[in-house]
Amino acid sequence: MQIQTVKMVITGPFNSGKTAFVQSISEIDVVSTERAISTEAERIKSQTTVAMDFGRITVDDDLVLYLFGTPGQRRFDFMWEILSQGMLGFVVMVDSTRPETFREAKSILETFRAYAPTPYVVAANKQDLPDAWSVEDLRVALRLDPEIKMLPCVATDRESVKAVLLELLYSILEEMEEELYE
Amino acid sequence: MKGNLRDFSPTQLLSLISLAKKTGTLRVERSKGEAKLSFKNGKLIYAAIGDADGSLASVLARAGRITEAQASQLARHALRTGDKQLGLLLIQKGYVSQADIIHSFKRHGVASINYFAGWKEGWFEFFPDQGPDDARITVPLDLENLIIQIARIQKRDEQLEEEIPSLDVALKFSNRPNVKLSDLQLNRDEWQVLHYIKPENTIRMIARKLNMSDRQIRRAVGSLREAGLVELAHARRREKLTVEEKKQKRALVGRLIEHIQNIGAE
Repeated sequence: MQIQTVKMVITGPFNSGKTAFVQSISEIDVVSTERAISTEAERIKSQTTVAMDFGRITVDDDLVLYLFGTPGQRRFDFMWEILSQGMLGFVVMVDSTRPETFREAKSILETFRAYAPTPYVVAANKQDLPDAWSVEDLRVALRLDPEIKMLPCVATDRESVKAVLLELLYSILEEMEEELYE
Repeated sequence: MKGNLRDFSPTQLLSLISLAKKTGTLRVERSKGEAKLSFKNGKLIYAAIGDADGSLASVLARAGRITEAQASQLARHALRTGDKQLGLLLIQKGYVSQADIIHSFKRHGVASINYFAGWKEGWFEFFPDQGPDDARITVPLDLENLIIQIARIQKRDEQLEEEIPSLDVALKFSNRPNVKLSDLQLNRDEWQVLHYIKPENTIRMIARKLNMSDRQIRRAVGSLREAGLVELAHARRREKLTVEEKKQKRALVGRLIEHIQNIGAE
C-alpha cells in the first residue's frame, strides 16, 4: 500500500516557538537541526534551528502528516521556498512578548504568501506569559485583516497546538467550500 | 583610496571623508555616468554628478531661479569669465542675491549627495588635495546630518524590501482603514498609486505605469500600508483540481481533523 504524505510548515521569527510547537504534537522525537547561537544579538536562547525541525503525525496506515519548522534566523531564508513547496498550509508563529519581532513576523508571512497561495493561520504564542500582547492588539500591530485567523497559543501545550492545527485544517476546508461557489 | 562602491558603499565613503575631515576630490565612474565630488576639511564644496555639472548656470536653473534658455546663455558667458565673475555680475545687476546663490548651491549639494548615496556600483578614487576648477563657485556643506538622514532612509528601504519581498502582487483596500480619506495628507506618488489599485494590477505594473523605480513604489506602498489603507492582495493561484481530486482532498483533510481531535484522548 502506498503511504500518502502531506506537509504543513510552521514558520515565524527567531525564538517564536516553532521547535516547541512541532515537539508538542509530533509522535516522534523531533528531528531538529539545532546549533549553538553564534550571533551575540541573538543570544536569547542557547540553540537555534539552522535547517529545519521535522515532526510526524501518523493518521493511519496510508496517511502521514509531516510538520516542518523553518529556521528562524533570516540568514537561512534560502530554505523557506524549498520547505514551502507542496505544503497544505502554514502556521506563522509570533512571540507575543517581543514586539521588536512583529515586523519580522509580518515580513515572513508576506514572503510565504508570495511563495504559495495556501491557507494559513497566525499563532500568537507565549500567551501564558504575563507580558504577552493580547491577540486583538497583535492583530492591529501586525495589520492583519479581520478574515485572517489569529489564535492564542502556548506552543508547549499540546491542546493549544492541536487547536491551531485544527483551525488551519478548517481554513483549508473552508477554502475548498468557497471554490464550489465560485 | 580607491575601490568599487559594491565593496565600500557611498554612505561609508562619505562618512569616512567627513569623519577624517579629508580635503580632495572623489571621482567615481560607472556605466551610467560619473561623479566628481570635492571636499574641504570633510565638507562638500563642489559636486558634479550625472547631468548636473555644478556650474552656476546649471545650479540656478535646477533651483528654478532662471530658465533653461537663460542658463544656456549664462553658460556661454561663463566660458569667458568663469562662474565667480558671472555670479558677481548677476548680483550687481540684481538678478539674484548672494543668499539665493548660496541657497541654490547647498540645495544642489544635498540633491547630489542623495543621488550619489543610491549608487550601488562604480569605481572610485579619492585624489587628496585636488579641488575643483578655480573658476567654480564652492559652498561648504556639512555632511554629518545628511549622512545620518541617508542611513535612516536606506534602513527604511531595506525594511520595505523585507515587508514587500515581491512586487508581483496586487494591492487591495484595507477593510478597516484607520484614517478618513478626507483627512489624508498623501504625497503625489501615494495618490497616484491609490488611483491604480485594482485586483488585476500588480505593484510592478503600477510602478511601470507611473514610471516609478522599485524603491519609489515600495516607499509609496509602504506609507499606504502604514496608514492602514491598503494591504497586499496575493493572487489566489489555487491549484486546479478535478471534482474527484477535490473529493479526495476533502476526505483527506477530514481524516486529519478527526485524528488531531483525538490525539491525547486515547
